[in-house]
Amino acid sequence: MPGKTKSRCADAEEVADTTMEDAPTSAQQPSDGMQEDQSGNNEEEDEKDEEEVEPQRVRILPGSSNTAASFEFLKEGHTMGNALRYIIMKNPDVEFCAYTIPHPSEDKMNIRIQTYDTTTASAALAKGLQDLEDLCDVVTDEFWTKRHDFMASK
Amino acid sequence: MEYDTMMMDGESLGPSVKISAADDAYVNFQLSNVDLSFANSLRRVMLAEVPTVAIDLVEVEINTSVLADEFVAHRLGLIPLDSREIDQLNYTRDCDCDQSCGKCTVVLTLHAKCTGDDVMKVYARDLIVGIDRPNNHIGNPVITDPDGLGSLICKLRKGQEIKLSCIAKKGIAKEHAKWSPTSAVGFEYDPHNKLHHLDLWYEADAAEEWPASKNANFEEPPAEGEPFDYDAVPSKFYFEVESAGNIEPDNIIHEGIKEIQKKLAGLIHGLGENDGMDAGYDGPRSPDGMDGGAGWQDQGFTTPYGNTGGTTAWGGGGAATAYGTTPYGNSGSGGGW
Repeated sequence: MPGKTKSRCADAEEVADTTMEDAPTSAQQPSDGMQEDQSGNNEEEDEKDEEEVEPQRVRILPGSSNTAASFEFLKEGHTMGNALRYIIMKNPDVEFCAYTIPHPSEDKMNIRIQTYDTTTASAALAKGLQDLEDLCDVVTDEFWTKRHDFMASK
Repeated sequence: MEYDTMMMDGESLGPSVKISAADDAYVNFQLSNVDLSFANSLRRVMLAEVPTVAIDLVEVEINTSVLADEFVAHRLGLIPLDSREIDQLNYTRDCDCDQSCGKCTVVLTLHAKCTGDDVMKVYARDLIVGIDRPNNHIGNPVITDPDGLGSLICKLRKGQEIKLSCIAKKGIAKEHAKWSPTSAVGFEYDPHNKLHHLDLWYEADAAEEWPASKNANFEEPPAEGEPFDYDAVPSKFYFEVESAGNIEPDNIIHEGIKEIQKKLAGLIHGLGENDGMDAGYDGPRSPDGMDGGAGWQDQGFTTPYGNTGGTTAWGGGGAATAYGTTPYGNSGSGGGW
């Protein structure tokens, strides 16, 4: 393999092949039908549990560290993504923040946050959410004041 | 580190609003000292996520009009219904009731039969609103024309009859445009195109061929030979919010911001119950960043499935092909490909 170190080449012999069955077909959670063979006997229990279980809205993607994390948001899009990205980037403790919608037919939005050592990615996200809410409050107040002034001036 | 979100970028001013025109159908305003992303969130949310009520289910008992049932049902759905104080109405999916009840739906009935020789026009005012509803205005058809007729639903000739009952539900325009509180949201920034976000097509002279928008009066035109300011960001946004009639225009803005806040509150809540990383399946991963690993040192030959170099699911892996050597003289022992 050009450009690869020798050790990696040597490893290649030992690493077992991934069979087609092991590889996931997509990033989606396997459906119940696919899991059936594994869960087998506690199937009844599962069915009860799965009733009305809200999927987790925010998830930290595996492979994240304290100061560099990717968050996966369900049922969010550009509306929250871009505004959050902006407000998180405003935080001087944040080194990098970006958002993406990995696939248009999945209702998911990912945010990547990398911070300096002064804070953590989760804290930066929490602060971003709070800041955006405060910004909304300011804009609402400002709008209503101006709206009342406008009505009064007519 | 302490900082004030609203006081960055050398701006000593917080967000400001200037209303330039308004009546009971629209409001035009300028929103300044906010970021494009926030202004756009507001636009998106007003357009698609402010809840209203609209007819969602129609049970047709008699329809001898020339219009097909589904055609009439579609027209009924598009009739704006009074959606002020929508908070008092539940989403049907969140309601405690089995199918529908007065807390989550408004029932409207329509019964019209033409007996005269003239063509009869059936209007939104002919809808009879049920009494079981949270307050006495929600779900009323919006009637703004001077004659007090409302939207035209259908026309009937002699002997034709239409009898149906409708269930109006709360919803948002992301699901169906009939739930949109706005008929349009105008959104503009940088009317002189100083930021070059637009590349105007022209025959001879762009300035000549593209008429200035009416918002151009609010901003200084670029001076002759002014150099392009590549650091400039848009900061003044011109909104024109036009109500469909179901919510007053200023309340659309209010509700829009509230909707953003609701989303944020939901996310703050969701973040709170985050129980760490869920590595249960081979899903999307956060890039491994600076921790070494396969991340950035990887040259793109490897897949995430532990398949380092050369080995394929077909058992390749540096072994020779069935013919010992490939036609290209590669004995396969290199393991590279």
